[in-house]
Amino acid sequence: MIDSTSRSELHGDAEARRPLGRVVATERQPNTPHEFHFWTALDAVVGIGTIVRVEGTHAVNGHVPLIYGVVTDGKSYTDVPSPLVDVLGFDGDPAGVSLAPTDRTEIRLYSAAVLRQLPEEPLQPVPMGEVFAANDADVAIALRMDGYLRDGARTAIPVGLYHAGHTAAPIHLDADFLLGPEAAHLSISGVSGLATKTSAIEWLLASLFAHFPAAKGSVAAVCFNVKGPDLLYLDQPAEMLDEDLVMYDRLGVPAQPFERVQYFAPYKADGRSLNTIRSNEALRHNVTPLTWGLREVLQFAEVLLNKDDVDAKADALIDFIGEKLVDREFHDPRLANGKRFRVRSFADLEEFFRDVLSHLEERGGESWRTHHAATIRKVRNRLINISTRCAGLVTDDGQTSDLPWGSFQDRTVYVVDVALLEEDAQDLIFARAVSKLREHLESRSLGVDHVVVFVDELNKYAPGDGPDTYVRKMLLDIAERGRYLGLVLFGAQQFRSQVHRRVVGNAGTSLYGRMDADELATPGYATLSAATKSKLATLAKGQLMVRHPHFTQPVFVRFPRPAVLRGRDGAERFPQAHDVSFEAALLGALRVLDSSLDPAWVAKLRALHDDAELLAVRNAALQQRPKNVRRFFEAKLGARLPAREAGLPGVPAAIRALPDDPYAD
Amino acid sequence: MLRTVLTQVEGVRAVLDASPLDGTPLDAEPPRVVDAEAVENATNRSIPIVGGSIPGFGAFLDGRQDSRIVAWIGALTPLVIGTVSAGIQQRDGRRLRSWGETIVERRLYAPFARVDSDRLRRACHPLPVVDTLTRDDDPASALHPAFLQERARQAVLRDREDAEQRVGAAWCAVAQVPLFVDGGIAGSDSMARSPLAIGVVKSHRTFYGDAEGMAAALGLGPAERTPVVRIAPRGRRPVYSWYLRLRDPAGHDALWGLVRIEVAETSDPTGRADLVSRWVLAERAPLAAPDARWDRMTYGVRAVEQALGAVARSGWRT
Repeated sequence: MIDSTSRSELHGDAEARRPLGRVVATERQPNTPHEFHFWTALDAVVGIGTIVRVEGTHAVNGHVPLIYGVVTDGKSYTDVPSPLVDVLGFDGDPAGVSLAPTDRTEIRLYSAAVLRQLPEEPLQPVPMGEVFAANDADVAIALRMDGYLRDGARTAIPVGLYHAGHTAAPIHLDADFLLGPEAAHLSISGVSGLATKTSAIEWLLASLFAHFPAAKGSVAAVCFNVKGPDLLYLDQPAEMLDEDLVMYDRLGVPAQPFERVQYFAPYKADGRSLNTIRSNEALRHNVTPLTWGLREVLQFAEVLLNKDDVDAKADALIDFIGEKLVDREFHDPRLANGKRFRVRSFADLEEFFRDVLSHLEERGGESWRTHHAATIRKVRNRLINISTRCAGLVTDDGQTSDLPWGSFQDRTVYVVDVALLEEDAQDLIFARAVSKLREHLESRSLGVDHVVVFVDELNKYAPGDGPDTYVRKMLLDIAERGRYLGLVLFGAQQFRSQVHRRVVGNAGTSLYGRMDADELATPGYATLSAATKSKLATLAKGQLMVRHPHFTQPVFVRFPRPAVLRGRDGAERFPQAHDVSFEAALLGALRVLDSSLDPAWVAKLRALHDDAELLAVRNAALQQRPKNVRRFFEAKLGARLPAREAGLPGVPAAIRALPDDPYAD
Repeated sequence: MLRTVLTQVEGVRAVLDASPLDGTPLDAEPPRVVDAEAVENATNRSIPIVGGSIPGFGAFLDGRQDSRIVAWIGALTPLVIGTVSAGIQQRDGRRLRSWGETIVERRLYAPFARVDSDRLRRACHPLPVVDTLTRDDDPASALHPAFLQERARQAVLRDREDAEQRVGAAWCAVAQVPLFVDGGIAGSDSMARSPLAIGVVKSHRTFYGDAEGMAAALGLGPAERTPVVRIAPRGRRPVYSWYLRLRDPAGHDALWGLVRIEVAETSDPTGRADLVSRWVLAERAPLAAPDARWDRMTYGVRAVEQALGAVARSGWRT
């Protein structure tokens, strides 16, 4: 409870004591406990979204009521009874207006929604009284932020500055309601093209990393870059404007790029270079290949195979392969003369299928181990096809290069670049990454306590209608159960109305950038006033409307430009590497590990080994990051390389001995 | 207050549905024509205003009255509560704001010859009590309730005029720019002598001039005036006056858009009439609608009426 003394301390300065308006109520337009009306001078700095404080005039139960409200609507009118009167007054000549010596009496009448009443009981209609512009302290009280701004119990995450007149008050989200456990998840909507959504997420992650209380544990972010270069330069500084620096300072967030960022991208289909726009040599140091083998893919075969593919019979065969074949020694005396299979890669799997089908064809049989030949052919076709559809991500050789499951680090951003991938590969990456996150968070073995997963284009991945895809199921699962695990979804979309309502409905916090008028006409925005919708439809870059569980009404904020290089600027400053020769690609990848490697060494390797063999060793090297790359290659490629290098320097060696080589001796 | 009167003054009964006396048929004055001395040597009876309208007024003055019978003593004697107010709206830029102190006064009006005035004064304290009868009133007529009501209404009207004159005099004493006065200025000595006070009369129950002058006034076209005359009503200061047509009367009666202007006597009546007429013409916009008299009313005066209505009703500054 705020008594009159502390109130005067709060609002001691002369400007704050000057009323902005007066509450007015009529029988036709009365005040209620949730809404009131007030008029102001014509030049008053009041608009939609302005937060105001009303001071009552009569004490109730010993306390003069204080009411906080946010302006939701406004009207202005004059005493002209009909437009026709105005026409007559100027003889139908609009230019005559300037000759009228007097302006008509005009009113600015505002409606405000109550944010908070003090005392909170008894809850009464808003009384008559003077209306004041809210200052910083008022804003904190009005939005109930005082509860989580207290010293010792501070869980406040700055989201932006509320601006009105001379007031620029920080607005904070409650970490307990952003990352859980009370509520969680964030949804941001807005038209595309303004870069507001991505910028807001980048800014909010920076704010989260700067302010998330250590006592609440560690936090990391996994961002899926699904389009363009938006998230590819999070570790590069941007040129900052003074006004942005002021905002950073006011909000207590360092105006710096993210200190720890790790990028992950699959290879291109040829396996030579990474399939990402962030391929400039200067930025390669923290880009890690993302490659998965058969085992990783088979766990998520459902993502890539539609329901027609995976009937009960096919499902049984896939289960058999997963349980009995992959990474196990398998022996069937009927196959390939009792050959022992050890399936580690798609190549191994293809060999297995070939032998099974040969066996059936030779014997004229219709089934093998109860699996019909047609089912075997179908599963073979679908599974082997995955390595083609997801070429670059899925390796034939079984090599895996993955996110650092189990060793995630606090305040680190992990960006998985899937922008240049086919839809199937994107889905596979998303499904597996989120599953692994969930799995590790459940067992408390991820390395951090909380993970924010940022997914753009939720319209596409979790649509309100359309097929019930694996990815949508996963997003629904995060939205509904993630907060108990510390798995938090930050979702962005152009049209909130087109995202599954259980996804957006579970988002405790919602941000809105400039909205499309058609979108605002959908039922999800029915609770907003026409004026608020109008403001939403015209929001400038860097402005957001925020809904948060503590705020009884939406509030408008401004946020600074992210301190990281914009995607477009980054792509210009760090041009994408062109497709290069095999040797150059290999050298470029390995120089991340050892800058002393030279083209001659790579040329020698190429002369002695085929490309697939070299790529496999490269993948293993990038995953294991050996201290001595040359020795690693020697060890992996067997005796030929050292012998060649040590034996006859400068003389090319034969790959294998020729039986009738006239020059052998 | 009324409760005290009811308990302390014998034979008083309250009126539950007090309706205003103002605007009733009692309001109507008998029409008359009063001769006036020609001042301007004009050959034409209608003089076009040359140069177009030009804003000249810096403020607008008006008054307001409200009188209601709140009780009867016996069956014949009305007790009337009267509220008068007067104020000025100053034009600041193009906006109107209250200037100085707005007067709001409330009194009880009663015929002392018919009541125990001392007891009534005590019962009404601190509300002033005003006698509505004068020595000249016919004792026989004073028995008639309608006569007493009319006397009460006139007493309230006198108090209103007094309030207006006090406000107007205050303006003329300190201000530098012309004041648009709703009504005549001849009743106030200070206003009638001040070059700042311009009276604009909208009602024409009394017509100043001869038959030809009246015909000329009623025949004026838009933005035309009559020659200046000097009028000297009994008991009032002499002033210069002329008629001015604000709007085209085509399709309306002859008085439509016709006002009479009063200014202090001057050595250049023609120049003064032309200039002041241009000022008044400038006040045709914005239209004073929805006031029924919008053809003669100016927006500034209507704004004063509105402000006085709000102040008098809310009880401010009493």
